[in-house]
Amino acid sequence: MSGRAPAEIRERLAHLRRAGAELRRRPARETLEALARLLDLWRDPGSEARRELEAGLPRATGFSPAVVREGLARGLAPFSGEAFRALVARELGPPERLDGAGAEMVAGFEVTAVLLAGAIPMPSLLSLLAPLALRSPVLAKPASRDPLTARLLARSLRALDGELAGCLELVEFPGRDSGAAGALLEADCVVATGSDETLAAVAARVAPPRRLVGYGHRLSLAAVGEAALAGPALLSLAGRLALDAALWDQQGCLSPLWVYAVGPGPEGADRLAEALAAALAEVETRLPRGVPGPAAAASIAQERAGAELRAAAGQRVALHASPGTEWTVVREADARPRPAPLHRFLRVHPVADAAELLRAMGPLGPQLAGVALEGFGRDEGRLARALADLGASRLCRPGVLQAPPLAWPREGCAVLTPLARLSRFEAGAG
Amino acid sequence: MSARTRPSGRLDPRRAALDAGVLAWMREADWRADEARFDALARDLFAFQFERCAPYRRFCAGRGRTPERLGSWREIPAVPTGAFKELALRCFPAEDTLRTFRTSGTATAARGELHLDTLELYEASLLPSFRRHLLPDLAAGARLRIRVLAPSPEEAPDSSLSHMFGVVLRELGAAGSGFDVVEGALRADPCLAGLGEAAACGEPLLLCGTAFGFVHLLDAMAARGKQLALPAGSRVMETGGSKGRARDLRPGELHALLEQALGVPAARIVNQYGMTELASQFYDSVLARPGEPRRKLAPPWARVRVVDPETGTDAGPGAVGSLVVYDLANTGSALALQTADLGRRLGDGFEVLGREPGAEARGCSIAADELLRDGPG
Repeated sequence: MSGRAPAEIRERLAHLRRAGAELRRRPARETLEALARLLDLWRDPGSEARRELEAGLPRATGFSPAVVREGLARGLAPFSGEAFRALVARELGPPERLDGAGAEMVAGFEVTAVLLAGAIPMPSLLSLLAPLALRSPVLAKPASRDPLTARLLARSLRALDGELAGCLELVEFPGRDSGAAGALLEADCVVATGSDETLAAVAARVAPPRRLVGYGHRLSLAAVGEAALAGPALLSLAGRLALDAALWDQQGCLSPLWVYAVGPGPEGADRLAEALAAALAEVETRLPRGVPGPAAAASIAQERAGAELRAAAGQRVALHASPGTEWTVVREADARPRPAPLHRFLRVHPVADAAELLRAMGPLGPQLAGVALEGFGRDEGRLARALADLGASRLCRPGVLQAPPLAWPREGCAVLTPLARLSRFEAGAG
Repeated sequence: MSARTRPSGRLDPRRAALDAGVLAWMREADWRADEARFDALARDLFAFQFERCAPYRRFCAGRGRTPERLGSWREIPAVPTGAFKELALRCFPAEDTLRTFRTSGTATAARGELHLDTLELYEASLLPSFRRHLLPDLAAGARLRIRVLAPSPEEAPDSSLSHMFGVVLRELGAAGSGFDVVEGALRADPCLAGLGEAAACGEPLLLCGTAFGFVHLLDAMAARGKQLALPAGSRVMETGGSKGRARDLRPGELHALLEQALGVPAARIVNQYGMTELASQFYDSVLARPGEPRRKLAPPWARVRVVDPETGTDAGPGAVGSLVVYDLANTGSALALQTADLGRRLGDGFEVLGREPGAEARGCSIAADELLRDGPG
């Protein structure tokens, strides 16, 4: 495709610009309603689109069928048509603003390029729908690890609204085809997901006034206060945190990697690690992990051996692990961050108090996505604000990390407005 | 021998005997992969390290491995290379430390440390391997001009690679040999002038360095519109990755660019696989065994297993697995090392596939080592 791809991509961008112009002739409310219906369709476990997604994702992504089923059920639950309408109202105001009514006008770009990455469908779904909500047509490059979500979304749109479906096209080319990538990045707005290196490379090619909206790789953590480190509260918490880690095999930016046990003594961390190990073992029976590649398995083996050696050196470190690489919990002796091999590998760090917790999390601030919090009683609000100041964009209870609301301000930004052009008509001024 | 190495005779008698056994093997001209000899030396060394390094002893005991219960050298528990960032794994008193080599690293990442009480084995191991794989045609006693795209040992005293290059220059370098990275930067113009001079006079040379050093050289040549045709008989040795320090190139891409820019055929470009935590190195076979498939070869006193990371057993032929290295030259630390690298067996050698921690990531969580990533070795 390499030789022809850039010309083809430019042609498709031009075609989409024309399709967008057609779409903008009709009331914005029609488009928004079609997208709301699509979300309700995808939320419905009985719908054809949802069944196809559940059936196809395991083979496409390597996640187990049970993880896909549970992950979709939880992840799509907040993605309702109603939530979408509320999001639009909150961020954009009444749909008529998109039609140019009133003094405050909102519009999308003429065409938006969306570079998808990763195999978790919800972020891809939102990245594709958000520009369409602004009636900006989309040329998307599906993720190599999930070619299915974008394709099924295009099909669902065709069934719901032919004209809107004409505003979504998919293009595939090898990641190293810089000619094709360059042509795609000529779109007026670019939405890209990837590592910081990928985003920097894209940013170098998308200069103002064209707009880049980037979503980097991020990580999540959990902090557990003394009140949740014993008894039934601990068992409940461990089960929910294990679920947060198990869903999508700890691959999402909302998957917790490190868990901080906040309390005066080391025993809390011991108990938490033991409870998490038991919970991960139980989760594995219901939601088996996918098979990791050799690099991930090697990383798990390396980090497990490192923990064993630190324990052998007299540090208060304990390794809890499945016979294979299915799950691992390392009870660490300190708060020092260590590599996270993912694929259900949790580290439990003891910290004395909230101040030490914040010091430990401080260097991670720029990379933080979510923090699950429990057991802090009246101090919770203050702690949540401090964590938000560090950079966390989501603070929630353990057990719901993988089900963010549609309006979650990923990377601290609104969902729709970063993709919008806002105008204000000040007729009476001056 | 360097004045800064400590003769084995001053070590404790048991250690000295172990060192002497390994040194004797290193000094033999005939490289035979003597399995029984390796097994015997490895068992003795394991027993010594088990006794002298308490964390390692408890680590092994925890896995049910003791010198008395060892079936073969293959069962010696391997220390993960990451552990050198956190623990001082040595089999001698701390006050006897003669030199500490450190892994390269970013400001935020911890650096691994290898403590040595003697450099004798280190140097005795590196020279015959280097000579066999880079200079197989060099007559005994002869020297060759060697330029190095890495800092000198004086500039980087804790770099094992710089130390290695220093020893090589001392023992094998002819007049005009030297280092072309000064104060952390490639001195491109003097380096290119030296290479140009060698090309003009038809004197073959050996150009060594880190992969990122070569990337900087290629960039400097491109910026100057320069191409060279180094004399026939010249050769290149590159080692380590370039990620994070220069634009990242795959080994095949780097070799193709070097062939084009320097006029050195790919069959004379040798990749070295080594690491701070190891005293011995592994080289591409292309000069030592010309005409055979490119693969990494180990000296007789080292072994490499390709291990299925799920089971810890040997990976099947051609299967990708973790590289576990057994190096008898590591008498003062740990002879068995579980590396962070993947590889596969190729005949009597192996291929290194690197680590690429994020390559298999399926989501948007930050890749395993991305946040804490070391700089390239």
